[in-house]
Amino acid sequence: MLEIKNLHASIDGKEILKGLSLNVGAGEVHAIMGPNGAGKSTLAHVLAGREGYVATTGEVKFEGKDLLTLEPEARACEGVFLGFQYPVEIPGVSNLTLLKAAINARRKYRGRAEIEASDFLAWIRDRAKIVKIDPKMLSRGVNEGFSGGEKKRNEILQMLILEPRLMILDETDSGLDIDALKIVADGINTLRSPERATVLVTHYQRLLDYVQPDFVHVLARGRIVKSGGPELAQELEEKGYGWLEAA
Amino acid sequence: MKLQPYRAAFDQFASSLPANERLVRDAHLQRFLSLGFPSKREEDWRYTDLAALSEKSFGLAIPAGNEADFKRIDGTERLVFVDGRLDSARSTAAQFCAEIPATESPATDGVLALNAAFSSAGLDLKLAAKQQLEQPLHVLFLSSAGADRATSMSHQRHRIVLGENACATVIVEFARESGSDSLATHTFDIQLGANAQLTLHRLQHESAATTLLTRIDASLGRDARFNALCLDAGGGFVRHDFNVSLDAPGTNAELHGLFAPLPKSHIDNHTRIVHAAPHGRSREHFRGIVGERTKAIFSGKVVVQPGAQKTDSEQRIANLLLSKRAEVNAKPDLEIYADDVKCAHGATVGQLDDTALAYLRSRGIDAATAKSLLLRAFAIEILDHVNFVPLRRHIEALLNFPDDPQLDALIEAVS
Repeated sequence: MLEIKNLHASIDGKEILKGLSLNVGAGEVHAIMGPNGAGKSTLAHVLAGREGYVATTGEVKFEGKDLLTLEPEARACEGVFLGFQYPVEIPGVSNLTLLKAAINARRKYRGRAEIEASDFLAWIRDRAKIVKIDPKMLSRGVNEGFSGGEKKRNEILQMLILEPRLMILDETDSGLDIDALKIVADGINTLRSPERATVLVTHYQRLLDYVQPDFVHVLARGRIVKSGGPELAQELEEKGYGWLEAA
Repeated sequence: MKLQPYRAAFDQFASSLPANERLVRDAHLQRFLSLGFPSKREEDWRYTDLAALSEKSFGLAIPAGNEADFKRIDGTERLVFVDGRLDSARSTAAQFCAEIPATESPATDGVLALNAAFSSAGLDLKLAAKQQLEQPLHVLFLSSAGADRATSMSHQRHRIVLGENACATVIVEFARESGSDSLATHTFDIQLGANAQLTLHRLQHESAATTLLTRIDASLGRDARFNALCLDAGGGFVRHDFNVSLDAPGTNAELHGLFAPLPKSHIDNHTRIVHAAPHGRSREHFRGIVGERTKAIFSGKVVVQPGAQKTDSEQRIANLLLSKRAEVNAKPDLEIYADDVKCAHGATVGQLDDTALAYLRSRGIDAATAKSLLLRAFAIEILDHVNFVPLRRHIEALLNFPDDPQLDALIEAVS
């Protein structure tokens, strides 16, 4: 589903990713772990098409399409979703406005009509239950006045509503208490299916107790330096990253 | 001689007036000819140069008969002017149109003198004590449709006088679409009696070839409440003077504005709020979205006169610059001559939030829609002062904000 080959990427001329390769198949969950500054978030943003993150060489294909040439909104419409490490507050744009615009953008992309108001509302209510968000909060500005945990749950809510095929979660688990973490994990597991793939970018092994990965990769110095099964996460938890960074 | 075309236009205009009226008008014209248009050397006109007007030869506009279209606002009565003349066929409240005699005292500046010399009938809303306008009154200023029309001008005087406890909502909309050079001046004299309440919306979406000069002078009686909302969504060369005088104790004036002019325009909002009596409260909040080759000016002066104790005044101006070739001059200005007052002011200039833009795009929303959502978000603090729903929709359409009539219902349903 997602094929990354020898990806080099830089921010402000500084190379962060230095030849990263990764294959993610449909139905798989990949965890990308690594020390701070290894390039984990850069990878997430390059995949989502964030301005300022420049892929200099290499190739990224999503279901056979060259992802790097698509605008960020087109990537989203193709089914790529990035859960932000630091979700943005946008006072004045309500969550409902964002969700409705996002749903209709996807529909338009596929040549479908706009969603009916009643269907939209029913769908939002249904999904909000999973992440235990009071639908009333959704008439407020995007993430406006939300706590750290609420912001992360809101990311998961958007994901549940938009039903992407590739979910990239950038440290969605950071800064969460255990209850919030379980809610986030429930959300991810709800969407887990043979047609969908998940890339979990995380600093902590803890999330992986709730979302069982198929593969674990260690990202260091802009490359994947080690890959393995779920047991690798356990090993990292015990030994830290030092032994890999030195290697 | 400079200004000669104005002299010529006046002679033509005055020939049909009764002798005594002609005399009064002629005095105003003489005053105009001697004052001329205000010059950039005057502090109040520093950023808005009217010199070009002296060189132009405007003739008084003559309605061409072909009707310019306009959008009706549901639930309002209408007064329609085309090229400065009442269009009675399309007006539902023609009783509020009248010729307002020009004052005999000499005008204080050239624009006022010009307006007094040429003024034609305008809005004349007088409400007796306790009288209330059932529906908002929508006053439209249009130009007759059709391209190749000569440069033309129109000048109108208006008056709103509310008696004790009277109440009204007025929407004034300048919506000329004329493609040719035009000049319009409008003066509004507003007097609010004790405990009267006026909500005034001044909307402007003129074409690029327009020069529009408006002036509102409002005087507030005891405990009167005046809420004004000013919107500039059009182009051209526009100057608004807005003077509010809190003349009696316990008054409340709110003056809010949004300017989001078209590219290559010039919008000057010049406001002056005078606290002349104790226990007055004023709020002034303007927001500007300024784009390509557009110059926007906001000068807001608040004066607290001696004796106006317990004044509570706040003035805020925020601007969003969308282009490197956008210019904004924001000048808050406080003059305080009383010692027991609360006055605050602040001005900011910023740009669109790239992070928010990236966030919206990452959800599949195209860049143009994302941008307009953020512009709307910036404007919303001002738009939220518009409580009359049909007007709110009208304004959002003028601003080309993403049309989402279902949204309010959705928010309602969720809450």
